[in-house]
Amino acid sequence: MDELELLKKDWDKSSTNYPNLNNEQLYKLINKKSSSIVKWIFIISLLEFSAWTLISFLFDGAESLEKMKSYNVEHIFYPLTIFGYLVLFVFFYLFYKNYKSISATDNTKMLMEQILKTRKTVKHYVIYNLLFVYISIVLAVYIELTNNPETQSMLTSIESEGANNIYILYLTIIGFILLAMAVVTVILLGIYFLIYGLLLKRLKSNYKDLKALEKAI
Amino acid sequence: MKSVTEQNFVVLLQEHQNIVHKICRIYTNDSDAHKDLFQEITIQLWKAFPKFRGDSKFSTWMYRVGLNTAITLYRKSLRHVQSQRIESMEYKLSYEEYDDTKDEQLKLIYGAVRKLNDIDKGIVFLYLENKNYKEISETLGISEVNARVRMNRIKTKLKTQLNS
Repeated sequence: MDELELLKKDWDKSSTNYPNLNNEQLYKLINKKSSSIVKWIFIISLLEFSAWTLISFLFDGAESLEKMKSYNVEHIFYPLTIFGYLVLFVFFYLFYKNYKSISATDNTKMLMEQILKTRKTVKHYVIYNLLFVYISIVLAVYIELTNNPETQSMLTSIESEGANNIYILYLTIIGFILLAMAVVTVILLGIYFLIYGLLLKRLKSNYKDLKALEKAI
Repeated sequence: MKSVTEQNFVVLLQEHQNIVHKICRIYTNDSDAHKDLFQEITIQLWKAFPKFRGDSKFSTWMYRVGLNTAITLYRKSLRHVQSQRIESMEYKLSYEEYDDTKDEQLKLIYGAVRKLNDIDKGIVFLYLENKNYKEISETLGISEVNARVRMNRIKTKLKTQLNS
């Protein structure tokens, strides 16, 4: 007997043996994209961290460290740096945890909750980064004003010329800080929107689909 | 709007999922690989669904997209690219030919079919699914003559492999 004929017989015979996935299982299959999106969020956060570290080392890392040493403000500078890195690590851990739990989630409701949680973590991450930059700007200006001998002598000379001048100077400085904050906010939010925003958008559409599924079943 | 599309798709997929399982059976060697391919084909079908115009039967369209996915993936797996596994997707898969209890000769035939190249596997699969040469050529995007020639070669190949 022809081999293929033999095969065909068996093929027809076993055509009822296949597993039958129900609608919900199939829905989940096509919505599993969430897991890989969250994985990308995790990977991108790692890349971003490396990029920032590299940039700070390449550019003014050593120089500003020297400057800080000459100002005797290591007690502010070091804790702040360490704190910054610690918080970043906490965020990596959270991103990783999100990824792990999303890829292990079986039930639709849990998956939805996890998606919401991931979105929240990313939001917190962006807010934290902005706050950290704001605090750094304020601190840097403060340190510059109180510790740089050049600015100090300039301040005293301006003060001797009249009390009004010094207020104007301070107002200018505050204006400068606000401007710097605004610029940083626009740049950072722009970057984050490009990287995370698009991923979050896709997560959101997955979430919507899952929600529709909840209703349908 | 999208969710309505999705519901339609899932209903159709649910009804015709046997086709996907059968493709997986020809193209994979064990149940893990079967599940991977099943997932991959499902996702590709879903991605391609907006392009499904309904001018052919859904099942015909599934054969085409499913086989193309399997063929592309088969080429990928030669380069050792693995798709991401869904661990939570547990369903029972128990084909006799995936274990050792099957009739010896049938096992050999299945083994020989799995050694064929990706296109030839598709031809055998469509043949087993009672498709004629016209349908085979349309689904795989080859000429009818080519399909016939390949089929003859496959028969010879299987014979020599099984008798050696």
